[in-house]
Amino acid sequence: MSGYYTPEEAQDVFLKANEAYAREDYAEAQAGYEKLLSHGHGGPDVLYNLGTTHLARGDLGRAVLALEQAVKQGGRAPDLEANLAVARARQVDKVVGASAEEEFLPRVAAATDGNVVAWTFLGTWVAAFVMVMLWRVLRPGRRTLVGILATLLFAVAIPSGLLLATHAWVEETVHEAVVLSPTLVARELPQPGARSIFEVHAGLKVRLLEETGRFVRIRLPNGLEGWAEREGVAEI
Amino acid sequence: MRRTGSANRALLAVLALLATAPAWANDDLDFYQTVDREEVGSDDTFRLTVVVVDAPPNAQVQLPESDDFEVLSSSRSSQRSISLSGGGPAVIQDITRYVLVMRANRAGRLKIPPSQITVRGKTYRTQPVEISVRSGRLGTPPQAQSGGSLPDPFASAPPSRRDPFEDDMMEDEPTIPRGDSDLFLRSSLDRDDVFVGEQVTLSLYIYSRVDLSSVDSVTMPKLEGFWTEEVESPTQLSGEQRIVDGVPYRAYLLRRRALFPVKPGTLTITPAEADITTGFLFAGHRVHRVSNGLKVKVRPLPPGAPQGMSNAHVGSWRLSTEVSQTRVELGQPVTVKVILEGVGNVKNVTPPKLTGPAALKIYDPTTTDKVAPQRNRVQGRRVMEYLVMPQRTGTFTLPALEFPFFDPRARAYDVARTEPVTITVEAGAGGVSSLPTSPSQVADAANEQKNVLTAGGLRPVRYQARFVAPSEPPWKRGFFVPVVLAPLGLLLGVALVGGLRGKLATRSEADRGRQQAKAARKRLAEAEKLQGGTNVGAFYAEVEKALHGFLEARLGVPVGGLTREVLAERMAAAGADAERRSRVLFVLEACDLGRYGGGGNPAERQKVMDAAAAAMEGWA
Repeated sequence: MSGYYTPEEAQDVFLKANEAYAREDYAEAQAGYEKLLSHGHGGPDVLYNLGTTHLARGDLGRAVLALEQAVKQGGRAPDLEANLAVARARQVDKVVGASAEEEFLPRVAAATDGNVVAWTFLGTWVAAFVMVMLWRVLRPGRRTLVGILATLLFAVAIPSGLLLATHAWVEETVHEAVVLSPTLVARELPQPGARSIFEVHAGLKVRLLEETGRFVRIRLPNGLEGWAEREGVAEI
Repeated sequence: MRRTGSANRALLAVLALLATAPAWANDDLDFYQTVDREEVGSDDTFRLTVVVVDAPPNAQVQLPESDDFEVLSSSRSSQRSISLSGGGPAVIQDITRYVLVMRANRAGRLKIPPSQITVRGKTYRTQPVEISVRSGRLGTPPQAQSGGSLPDPFASAPPSRRDPFEDDMMEDEPTIPRGDSDLFLRSSLDRDDVFVGEQVTLSLYIYSRVDLSSVDSVTMPKLEGFWTEEVESPTQLSGEQRIVDGVPYRAYLLRRRALFPVKPGTLTITPAEADITTGFLFAGHRVHRVSNGLKVKVRPLPPGAPQGMSNAHVGSWRLSTEVSQTRVELGQPVTVKVILEGVGNVKNVTPPKLTGPAALKIYDPTTTDKVAPQRNRVQGRRVMEYLVMPQRTGTFTLPALEFPFFDPRARAYDVARTEPVTITVEAGAGGVSSLPTSPSQVADAANEQKNVLTAGGLRPVRYQARFVAPSEPPWKRGFFVPVVLAPLGLLLGVALVGGLRGKLATRSEADRGRQQAKAARKRLAEAEKLQGGTNVGAFYAEVEKALHGFLEARLGVPVGGLTREVLAERMAAAGADAERRSRVLFVLEACDLGRYGGGGNPAERQKVMDAAAAAMEGWA
């Protein structure tokens, strides 16, 4: 945890931002939540409040961004799902022909907690090897229990290792982002004067494929692709 | 058993064969030509068969040529028949047939010129054949005229179950165009009489009798008055054998599209065009081909359409709904999917709009299509996904939905329906409202604006927070990979150390053996000093100890308690030859004797000494 605020000070900033939200002073509420985030006092709760504040202000792009970040940090909760649904319903873009099925590995990664998987793997892996060493040291008559324990630990460690590899792969290759600009033009080539293919609007979730100069190649859920200006999207 | 007379029989058979030599040796020639039809259309093809019986191999046949006819293909076949009858000589016949697939170039009473054959300078002619040609197409000849077909063994079998998708499909019967008979483009429809909105499948084929290299460009026809969907667009040319008017072709599919007429009347499909390269490499050349045009008769939908019927709602459809949950807390969204699936123009149908009471706010839907043509018929599903946000507590009903459509197979209207969906909205954790007690209260309360969530339906912010510093995932932290690899490294290190220790142990045993052998030789040198002394027993004892020490070093076992026989076996097993073994045994025997008083002679002692040294020498 950052040492900029003590826990009491951070709680105080949070409550003041909430009070600002309650009296509909959304700008001050937003500033308070962003201050907490910039000084290392983030988390799903602060992100949820920030996203809700953006939503109340009508900044759909940043609202979806903050709420999606809260989801990514493991903050799945009914209120978060509800506000996210409201935000999606307010979006201008209706992606027609979107494939209902997401790819398998990202789905697996989304359904499991990466931290839990990592620690489970590390713990069982090391423990399994400790058991193997112990097995070598013990006399043949006393090895059975240790052997069974080692087998069980490996049986947990190997699948969790595969799951961990999935998380690492998704972390490295799948980059999701949210459109922040009210209107973002997707072009055929990464050049300002290139032919415009389609337009997207704030709040739409897209996938970033590659980056060159100040352009990124985005892909919509229905497979439509184009080059858009980097500053118009923010990675979740 | 010995067989007699077989040589005589073989000789008789050869003579009989020689006696039945082919008839052409006697210029007995049968030569004629026939056609399979006497009356044809100018667009029809017919077969001219020229038959030569018993022609010599060097005979030259000249087939008829005329400007009135076009030869589309020709083939030649030979047959030899041997007939034996009544004990007489065998009769051999050589029959050669030339079959020409022809087409008349004009109408009228036309004459096919005679064919000619030249045999040893003499020319024979067939009779010319007259044929009556009418303009247009008269159709294919009866099967019996083509001859030779065997009766169909399945003709009496009951008819197989009909394919529901092929009930009205027409078999395409291409016509070979004049001038481009080797390579032509053909558009065809699976049916040409349909209702508005019913699928017609347009197929564009190349028919070719030459090798194709590539199709450079294809211009599809203008399809005004149709909604089109791509069904098949092969990326590589893949041909299949087809017979057109008796002429074999390879047919290559270029495009296949589903057409859905959007208005009644006779709609025209203009010809398609393609640039095709034939041949290979430098031998290839590019040709331009234009296909035939087509017409489709489109009937209007019959009267008596149900309410809400659209011209696009043609086919066979099923309607269903899927609800994410029917019991929710206030503020929780509900997802309702309206699914329309079936056979027809999936992308042009409009599923019924979801409606509901004012207490359920229904947002605009997102549409997802999944089109999967099967057997050239467009079919799939269209899903309209609605987000329904309850605005208050209570029990609400989303009414049943109806989708009227026209089924062209049944030639009747039908309606696909769903069941009503009841959603119960309960108060959330905050308990913002109590549920109404009766349905009438629900209906009345639905129009009142209360229990509406603040900030445009948003759930409130959280008043307690658990602050989390931004952190990298565990597997990206510096310690993670080393900790994962450490057990492997440790295990490897243990295995390595174990191996090293084993190797060192082996080496030390060998060293110990060498040291023992060295000590034994040293002891033998000590014994040499006693050789000239008076204590004979001490000399032999020292020699025996030296030899024992050496043998233990070499054999790796104590040898003190072993009998001579066992010792000899051990030495043999250790690779000592017979001479060395006998020397060792001799020295040991001499030592036994010397220790108990014998062997006092210096010459004997020297002999024992030499034998001991010789036994040790060279045994590594």
